[in-house]
Amino acid sequence: MSSKSLGVVEPTFRLRSQKQRVIHTFLRNRTAILGLILTAIILLIAFFADNWFVALPQGKEPTPLLAHYNPLLQDTRNRLSPPDEDHLMGLDSYGRDIWSRIVYGARVSLLVGVSSVAIGGTLGLIMGLLAGYLGGLVENTLMRVVDILMAFPSLIMGLMVLAVLGSGLFNMILAIGIVLSPTFARVAHSATLSVKANEFVEAARAIGASRMRIMRVHLLPNILGEMVVLASIWIATAIRVEANLSFIGLGVSPPTPAWGSMIRDGTSHLFDAPWESLYPGLAILITVLAFNLLGDGLRDILDPRLQR
Amino acid sequence: MKRFVIIATLLATVLILGACAQPTPEVVEKEVIVTQIVKETVIVEGTPQVVEKKVEVTKIIKEVVTATPVPKEPVVLRYADKAADLGTMDPHFAAATNDRNLVDMIFNALVRYKPGDGTQFEPDLAEEIPEPVIVDGKQVWTFNLRRGVMCHPSEQVPAYELTADDVVFSLKKSANPDTSAYAGDYNGMTVEKVDDYTVKITMEQPISPVLFLPKVADYAGGFIICQKPYEAMGAEEFKTHPVGTGPFMFDSYSPQEKVVLKANDNYFRGRPLLDAVEYRFMPELNSRELGLRSGELDVINGAAEGQWVRRMNQEDGIRVDVYGVGEVATIHFNLTVPPLDDVRVRKAIAYALDRDEFLALFGEPVAANVYSAVPAQFLPGGLTKKEVDELGLEYPLDLDKAKALLAEAGYPDGFSLEVVSSERESYLKNYQSMQAQLAKVGIDIKINTVDHSSMHKLIRQDVNPIVIYVAWRPNADVYLTRFYHSDSIVVTGAKPDTNFSHYTGIDDLIEQARVELDPDKQIELWKQAQIKLLEDMVSYPLQYQNQVTARRDYVDYGHELKSVLALYPQITENTRIVK
Repeated sequence: MSSKSLGVVEPTFRLRSQKQRVIHTFLRNRTAILGLILTAIILLIAFFADNWFVALPQGKEPTPLLAHYNPLLQDTRNRLSPPDEDHLMGLDSYGRDIWSRIVYGARVSLLVGVSSVAIGGTLGLIMGLLAGYLGGLVENTLMRVVDILMAFPSLIMGLMVLAVLGSGLFNMILAIGIVLSPTFARVAHSATLSVKANEFVEAARAIGASRMRIMRVHLLPNILGEMVVLASIWIATAIRVEANLSFIGLGVSPPTPAWGSMIRDGTSHLFDAPWESLYPGLAILITVLAFNLLGDGLRDILDPRLQR
Repeated sequence: MKRFVIIATLLATVLILGACAQPTPEVVEKEVIVTQIVKETVIVEGTPQVVEKKVEVTKIIKEVVTATPVPKEPVVLRYADKAADLGTMDPHFAAATNDRNLVDMIFNALVRYKPGDGTQFEPDLAEEIPEPVIVDGKQVWTFNLRRGVMCHPSEQVPAYELTADDVVFSLKKSANPDTSAYAGDYNGMTVEKVDDYTVKITMEQPISPVLFLPKVADYAGGFIICQKPYEAMGAEEFKTHPVGTGPFMFDSYSPQEKVVLKANDNYFRGRPLLDAVEYRFMPELNSRELGLRSGELDVINGAAEGQWVRRMNQEDGIRVDVYGVGEVATIHFNLTVPPLDDVRVRKAIAYALDRDEFLALFGEPVAANVYSAVPAQFLPGGLTKKEVDELGLEYPLDLDKAKALLAEAGYPDGFSLEVVSSERESYLKNYQSMQAQLAKVGIDIKINTVDHSSMHKLIRQDVNPIVIYVAWRPNADVYLTRFYHSDSIVVTGAKPDTNFSHYTGIDDLIEQARVELDPDKQIELWKQAQIKLLEDMVSYPLQYQNQVTARRDYVDYGHELKSVLALYPQITENTRIVK
């Protein structure tokens, strides 16, 4: 029997008003809009760095699109040339086009940012959910592990993990993921504790739903919103940690362009060719700012405590 | 009460101002005895003659004195090195450049390379460089020691005169693998004391002076340490409290910050013109540069960059010195690892590389191309560009030839290799340039960057199929022995060293050259060995990288800078600050 037949009006207006409220809140937040625009630009730059979407299906080598040159192409005889019409941001110490390396470097930064947050978020979510719902010994053990992990600053923790795993892109993503997981675990844990006190969880348990089902169907969807907000903010942190690790030589292997290692390459020419470090530094600044602004905006919308 | 406070305040102000004031100069009269030469006319055998006579007269002089004498500011040279910390100051273990710099100032040897010019020998602790004599088929070198050479005082042992006992003890220490990293250089050498000032060195196998003198010169195992303090403090403490006879003696060491050396007042060549040397550890180039520009530092290790040299030379009050010896960068191929075990592949790599591409990363005047394992620019026995060109062994850039050779060897699409590189620019630049150049013929090189000491450890464990090594060695024999003699093969050699190629093809030529007494024939043998290396493309010589140091223009090293084995400008007793 449908609700209509009982003469009950479906609360569709509430759903619409919720969407409207979300859009309205977001549009009112100018810094969030700026964050969204910047993030979109960075994503587009990374996507259109070369014509891979045309070349790869045809089995050809992609050619630069937004990047003007192959980022690995060395022109050592003109190394450290200042910015000009051909090379918008000049050449680095190997004679490679800095603009092209920044464009390709965006892929590395975004890949590391998103992947490590995905790994860290998933790990943290599982730990927090299990600890929060199961309680007792499981909760105590997991949360003390999280406490220990959180005692280390993110860079030191990343260094420790990379010291064990060795350098390289995949290991760095894994290392940053492990570094971020305790924060996600903490948030997931507290959110689970708050949601599990609701009656619908008790009702599910009363009708004999398994623990797994309760966690999957009733708890997870309810804490996911907070996790998404957290993820958007922590992508910025992941990019920063990646830049730090690349800066100290533990990031991606050369000659793959990564912003952190580009800054490091330029430090020995800071007085001779400041552009070598300046532009990748600005790229990190803008990207981290974009994700932070976007994250703040999303939090304003989705966090009920901050709703006006 | 108010009046008391005012008076007290005034009194305090007067006292403070008085304390801050310079001491008032005062004129005092002093009685001094001076010797004067007076001319007198005397009659000698009836003839008047003018003679000079010394007489002592008492004079009263006026002297300006201050109540408190103003203390003289010590003249300290502040040197900043790129190293992060000290390794050791035991000269027989010192291998890192910063350690070699420090021991160079603290110790002497029987003979020394002329300061600033590593191509000439001159006597140091020995009175002169002896001529060897052959006795019963053995070569005997007899050194007469200078008298009055004093060992620095230490906590355990006061200053004492260095004798033959110290020299014998020191050279025996150098020959002992437990107490020296250079023991291999002293095989077949016997050292005996003849008397307190005479030392006899016997070589089982006669060798030329070019090979003998470096063993007793001021580099590596040739440094003479003082026996008594070494025995009193023990080997471990000696590493951070060295005692020698040099112009400067150890004063203090602050880990990761600095080593301070003070002037040796009893130095046998005269007291140094500097009162002390502060040797600071500053790995960051920008920090060193800022320190020099602000005047907080007097001498710094510079960047091996032509552009840096040009810019710094334009700064007021700063001079940059670019000098030898040039450390040679060479690409070594592991001949036991496929596909590098095929000479066609190695030759293909050589044809795919362009020395000038590597060179452009450093720029003139910092670096220059080399064409053989031994740099002809600095040492006898090396091959010049003209020589290798005439022999057809220059391997000029020819990508078509490289691709054809690869196809012939069965690698038409190239292949992949994985290597580790140091994070230092002198290595990473060469690795990355090689990577970019070889990509053009389909050879894909993956570079894993590690810290400098880890790279040294890993390449000695034979992890790299291709090793780029940057090094200076004092003569052709050491270059060829340590990089290409079968005994020196990494891991598996009789004395594992730096034969990264696993090459065994020139052992006989190296050994023949070592015992050849005719310098021309010796050089010819070394050249033959290197021709074979190029024919088999065992290694590809790249460039030598000169030393770059910058100084404030008031620093005078006291010698001209041409080439220094210790890879720094050399601070001696003649180094001074002229302000």
